[in-house]
Amino acid sequence: MDWPLIVIASAISCVGILQIYSATHGTQWEDAWWKQIIFVAGGLLLMWIMTAIDYHSLMGQVPALYILSVVLLVGIFLVGKQAFGSRRWMPLPGGFHFQVSEFFKLVLILLVARYLTELRSERPDASELLKLGGLVGLPMLLVMRQPDLGTSLTYVPILAAGVFLAGLPMRYAVTIVLVTVLLLPFGWFVLKDYQKARLVSFLDPERDPRGSGYQMIQSKIAVGSGGIWGKGVTRGSQTQLRFLPVPHTDFIFSAFAEEHGFVGVVAVLALYFVLLMQIVQNAQTAPDRAGMYICMGICCLLLFHMLVNVGMVVGRMPVTGIPLPLMSSGGSSTLTTFMMLGLVNNVRLRRFVN
Amino acid sequence: MDPLTRGQALARLAWLAGGVLAWGGVILGRLVHLQLFKHREFRKLAEQQQRKLIEIPAPRGTIYDQTGQPLAMSVPMRSVFVNPLRVPDLSVAADILAPILKLDRAQLYERMRSALRNRRGFLWVARKIEPEKYERLRSLSLDWIEFQTESQRHYPKGATAAHVLGSVDHEERGNSGIELGLDEELRGQSGALRLLTDVRNRGIESELSAEMVAGANLTLTIDERIQFVAERELRQAVLDANADTGSLVVMNPHTGDILALASFPSYDPNKPPAPGESLKPRLNLAISAPFEPGSVFKVITISAGLETGKVTPDTPINCGNGAFNFFGRVIHEAKRGFGMMPVSDVLAKSSNIGAVQVALKVGPHAMLEYIRRFGFGKSTGIPLPAEHGGWVRDVKRWGKTSIGSIAMGHELSVTTLQLAQACAVIANGGLLVRPRLVLLRQRPGGSVERVPAEPPRRVLKPETAFAMRLMMEGVVQHGTGRRARLEGYSGGGKTGSAQIFDFKTRRYTHTYNASYMGFAPVTNPAIVVVATLNGTRGTSGFGGAVAAPVFRVVAEETLRILEVPKDVPETVPEPAEPAEVEDLAVAELSEPAEGETEPVPVAAVQPAAGAVWGPRAPDFAGKTLREVVEEASEKGLTVRLDGRGVARRQEPAAGSLLAAGEVIRVQFAR
Repeated sequence: MDWPLIVIASAISCVGILQIYSATHGTQWEDAWWKQIIFVAGGLLLMWIMTAIDYHSLMGQVPALYILSVVLLVGIFLVGKQAFGSRRWMPLPGGFHFQVSEFFKLVLILLVARYLTELRSERPDASELLKLGGLVGLPMLLVMRQPDLGTSLTYVPILAAGVFLAGLPMRYAVTIVLVTVLLLPFGWFVLKDYQKARLVSFLDPERDPRGSGYQMIQSKIAVGSGGIWGKGVTRGSQTQLRFLPVPHTDFIFSAFAEEHGFVGVVAVLALYFVLLMQIVQNAQTAPDRAGMYICMGICCLLLFHMLVNVGMVVGRMPVTGIPLPLMSSGGSSTLTTFMMLGLVNNVRLRRFVN
Repeated sequence: MDPLTRGQALARLAWLAGGVLAWGGVILGRLVHLQLFKHREFRKLAEQQQRKLIEIPAPRGTIYDQTGQPLAMSVPMRSVFVNPLRVPDLSVAADILAPILKLDRAQLYERMRSALRNRRGFLWVARKIEPEKYERLRSLSLDWIEFQTESQRHYPKGATAAHVLGSVDHEERGNSGIELGLDEELRGQSGALRLLTDVRNRGIESELSAEMVAGANLTLTIDERIQFVAERELRQAVLDANADTGSLVVMNPHTGDILALASFPSYDPNKPPAPGESLKPRLNLAISAPFEPGSVFKVITISAGLETGKVTPDTPINCGNGAFNFFGRVIHEAKRGFGMMPVSDVLAKSSNIGAVQVALKVGPHAMLEYIRRFGFGKSTGIPLPAEHGGWVRDVKRWGKTSIGSIAMGHELSVTTLQLAQACAVIANGGLLVRPRLVLLRQRPGGSVERVPAEPPRRVLKPETAFAMRLMMEGVVQHGTGRRARLEGYSGGGKTGSAQIFDFKTRRYTHTYNASYMGFAPVTNPAIVVVATLNGTRGTSGFGGAVAAPVFRVVAEETLRILEVPKDVPETVPEPAEPAEVEDLAVAELSEPAEGETEPVPVAAVQPAAGAVWGPRAPDFAGKTLREVVEEASEKGLTVRLDGRGVARRQEPAAGSLLAAGEVIRVQFAR
């Protein structure tokens, strides 16, 4: 077992639970912190299960898992629970809801790993790339339609990291980047109004300080007013007085930065850094390419989450609704993250197999 | 293509790591920027939206009379306000509020709508409402109807002592009387509450950032019972004599305590002036309206004569049988002439010629010296606003007949309060005692402190004062002041009538300022009373006829209230034989001089500048529409504009006092 990985992940989760408690006590989400404890406990359990089953046999189930996921994503449009203007949750017996798009990340990581290890050519060529793109693109579109642009975008780094490390010829890589950049302006017309507003207020938050720019401004004020040492647990006025929106989910880092200051922020970011380096190290010692792709895919996914979420909190990224892994309150996200760490552990445990 | 070599793979990893590091670097840099460099700025921003400073007005001090009766007090009242942005339906709101508060529905609706349009989150619906209206609104328990406790000044005795107390504006700031004079002490210091508010503007936590200091309670020297009698008698006398106005002061000659200070016409300080209502009744005539005193001033002339040793009470004075040629002007007596008579009779009979003779013996410089020593020409320093010090001209500006005029109480002006102060000098044995209005001051938490009296200044030798007292007793016993004779008490005084100068026609009219100043009892005077009636007519309007009886009633009642032992056997009522009251001073010796600081003979009621506080209408004449609007908004005035071009006419006129919220109409024309 990779104990450092588990210890660090648990430590970050504890910080997250404390912060959730601090940010929600006395509000309608008062019970979020102990729910999060259950999710973390459940996550550790799932992590152990994910470690136990050999990842090669998991990869063997990829076609079935993929088809099941797509069916579920389609099913969401029919029976999904609507919240905050989008359908993302699949109702489960017992009053739970489960976010298929989160769990699909796991399937996608396995899928990319398997696909890239079973390439007929030595390096991914155009046709392979298009096929893989199609396989990833279909669920992406489905998630985008929910609409949940943020989660669907998190699929991109998994794919990109995979094909890049698999030896995608440089000219392809450059072409893809160029085409993406050129196509970006047209993306504007695909965006929904609220998404456009978020983008506009990212560029100029003061344009609508009470509306779409509000979250960004309040988050910046929270982070900035925290200073070096922070205001102390449950003493962050931006958080406690509800100026900061959703301080226990997407903006938890903002609440943390306010209450613990720059010192706390650097400490937590250092923990994340060690965690990611631990995953990278596992990728290097992986017994085969599949293991390496799995670890690197997970590493890139977590990195993407962190950079986008923290970037949003400090006003360097638009508001997308991407949670901070391990810290943000939320069942699907927490469970998925621990399952991914389980996969990493899985790869590590089998490093001496051959 | 060959698979990636290990080196190539590492290079690709390095590429990825590089991109990630760049991205992470930007974010870290941003964190440093926000949390380390811009920290203060953001903390200020956070505080700005989280903290609110709320002013807590201090309760205004209570004003008591000498016996502990409250004369002015503040009672809490409720005011209703709404946040138009939070009212669910303005029309329904107007339907609910208007009938309960007895407001015009359409008007209220319009007010709320315009506040909503301007995105104003606060609107007073009605201020200081009756408790039953408050209860009805509260019982609706609608969360968008909000209340604020405001304090309302209440004068439980109504119009009694109105001029002493004054009044307050809608924000409980004094605007006249002692409420203005000692506004700072009464008001105290408002505190400030620093409120921590959440995103919905609910107060979460509050901390006191400035301690509130309640206003001081004041105990006045006024005795409400005496004040009541004084006002009742003054009012009756003014109405009976068909005079215009009147004023009266009752004073303790030893301490200077003002026991009563009345001015007629009066007003109810509980009611703010209605738009267009005359503000004249709010003028405190006893201190703000100087007049030519006439014969009462002969007391000063003869005191100066005695004190300088030029005459004694028994010195014979040639009163010229009723005619005395004085620099080409013939001075007459009020009625019939007198021959030779002692100084005491000059005073008792109020001989004009006699008074002039005494003044001539004293000489102009000594005369002026004594006039000043008696406190004339200078305000008494009573803590009431708009006190007028009267006019006393310097000797170098006297004409050749001025000494004669002044001897008879012309060519100078005095206030009723100044006369009381001067009369007290004689009553207390020769000391000038400053009138005192505030007896005790109680600061919150502090003990009661006595307001120190100013040290008295000697004006006359005690024997001169005593001689004057006896002579003034003679005025009552066998002179012009017989109608001032008290039952059971000895008393002294002096009557006076002065013609009122009309500034329009530049002539003395046949209306008079009739006054009486006196004290009682003679041996150890307990009180000084001065009554003045302005604008009386004919012989029946002389001081001895109309002012002396006021003195009699007020003095008798005051002595009874103060439980002063009687010192003479009660006498049978006066015989039917009419008392001689003719005491008219000669006014026409010289025309009241004109000059830059004149007019000296301040006739009738010339209100002192700023006697009544309040906003005044600015002069808009000739200004453009834009200038008018700017000036009005600067001064917080409401204007209604009509026409175009430049301002030609305005209503109310420039300089006139504005009632609270009064609209100024301005007519523009090319």
